Amino acid sequence: MKLCTRTTDTIDADELRTLLIDAANELTGGESRLLEARLPWDGYPILLADAQYHPVLVSFDPINSQAALLNGLRATEQVATALPWLNQVYDALQKQLRPPRLMVVSYDPPPGAEALLAGCPDLKLFGYKVVRIRQEAGLLLEPVAAGGETGRDRPAEREAPVVTTAKEERPRTGPVALPSLSEEEKNYFRQL
Amino acid sequence: MACQLSPAWQRKAVSPGRMEKIRDRFLSDAPETEADTETCQVIPFLLDNQALDWVTSNLCEVLTERGHDSTLYPLPDTVEPRDRLANTLREQAGNAELCLLPTTSAEAVLAHAFDHLVLLVPANLDAVLAAYQRIKLLAEQAHTPEIGIVLVGPRDQHAAWRFFRKLAVGTLRYLDVPLLNLGFLPEQVVPEHAPHDHHRNNFLTRISERLLRSEFYSTLPHEVDQANV
Repeated sequence: MKLCTRTTDTIDADELRTLLIDAANELTGGESRLLEARLPWDGYPILLADAQYHPVLVSFDPINSQAALLNGLRATEQVATALPWLNQVYDALQKQLRPPRLMVVSYDPPPGAEALLAGCPDLKLFGYKVVRIRQEAGLLLEPVAAGGETGRDRPAEREAPVVTTAKEERPRTGPVALPSLSEEEKNYFRQL
Repeated sequence: MACQLSPAWQRKAVSPGRMEKIRDRFLSDAPETEADTETCQVIPFLLDNQALDWVTSNLCEVLTERGHDSTLYPLPDTVEPRDRLANTLREQAGNAELCLLPTTSAEAVLAHAFDHLVLLVPANLDAVLAAYQRIKLLAEQAHTPEIGIVLVGPRDQHAAWRFFRKLAVGTLRYLDVPLLNLGFLPEQVVPEHAPHDHHRNNFLTRISERLLRSEFYSTLPHEVDQANV
C-alpha cells in the first residue's frame, strides 16, 4: 500500500474551525464540550467547556496571528462580562462563574508572544500545520513556549504535539479518566 | 456467642440520598400505559474488551430462538442524542423486541445514561478491578444505572461466584452500588476452548432468562417532535 502524505501551507478559516473543534479535547487537555462553534464576535471564536466545566475560548486565524490574539483578548473580556448570563444558558459550565481561558491558534506566534505568555497564565498559544493524507486533512498543533518558539523548534521531550483528523462527522465521546482507587480499595482487590 | 459480620460484608452507612433514590424508583414503577408501547427496549452491554463480542452475538441468537426477536447494534462512541439513538435503533431493529447494544466504551454508556447496564467481566482479578473502576465512574454520575454482571471464562460455578462476590462486595461496601448476578460462561464453553460447544447455549439461555425475568432492559423514547422542543 502506498501512503501519500503532504503538508499544506494554507487552509480555509472554516476548515481550520472544523479541525479545531475536532481537536477540542487535545486543546483543553481533557474531555471538553462544545458550547458555541461560532461566537458572533470579531474573528468568530469557538467557545468550549473543559473537563472542569471552565469556559475556554479558542480564537484563531489561518495566517494573521495578531488578529487572532486581539480578537481573542476582546472576546475574553466579553465572555468575562457575560459570565452570569453564560452560566444561565450553558449547563456545561455548572454555574461556577470561572473566568475563561484563552487559546490562540495561528500559523506563527503573534509578536510579543514571550511577554504575553509570561504575564498571562490563562493564555496558550499554538502554531499549526495542516497535513493531508490522501483526501483527509489533519492538524498538527504545536504549543508555543514562553520563548516564543513553536514545538518544532524545541527539544522533543518538552511537550508533544497533538494531531487530529477531520474524518468524523460527529464529535466522539472523549476518553474519560477512570477514577483513582484509595489504598483500602487497592488492598481489597489485591487478592481474591 | 455474638454474631459479627466480616467488615467486607458490612454495608457502608446509608447515604443521604439513598431513600430518595428508592422512593423515586418505586414511584416511577407506574403501570404500563399506551405510550409505553411506543418505546424501544434495549440492553446495553459494556465489554471488558472487544474479544468478548461473541457473547452478545450468541445471546442475541439465543433470545431470538426463544421467541424474543432480537437484534444487535454496536453502540457508536459518538456523541449522539438519546432520542436520535432511539430512532436509529427503531430503523435498524425493525420489529425486533429487543436490541442488544455492545460497547467497550464507558464514555458511550455515560453519554446515553441508560437505566440498566450489563458488564461482561473476564474471570481474573485484573478484569474485576477494571470493572470496579468502571462502576465507580458510573456511580459518580447523577444517575447510576442498575448493573448486572456476567462472568466470562471462570473454571466452574464456584470460581464464578468467588469473582462475582469479590466485585459485588467491593461495590456495595465502597460505592453503595448493589450488583445483579446474571450468570456466567465457564471456560469450557468459551470459543477459544471449544468452537462449537453445544453447552454454550445452555449457559446463554440461563443468562437470557435472568435478563427477561428481572426486566433488565432500558427503554428509549421516540424522538421528540421538533415542534415541542
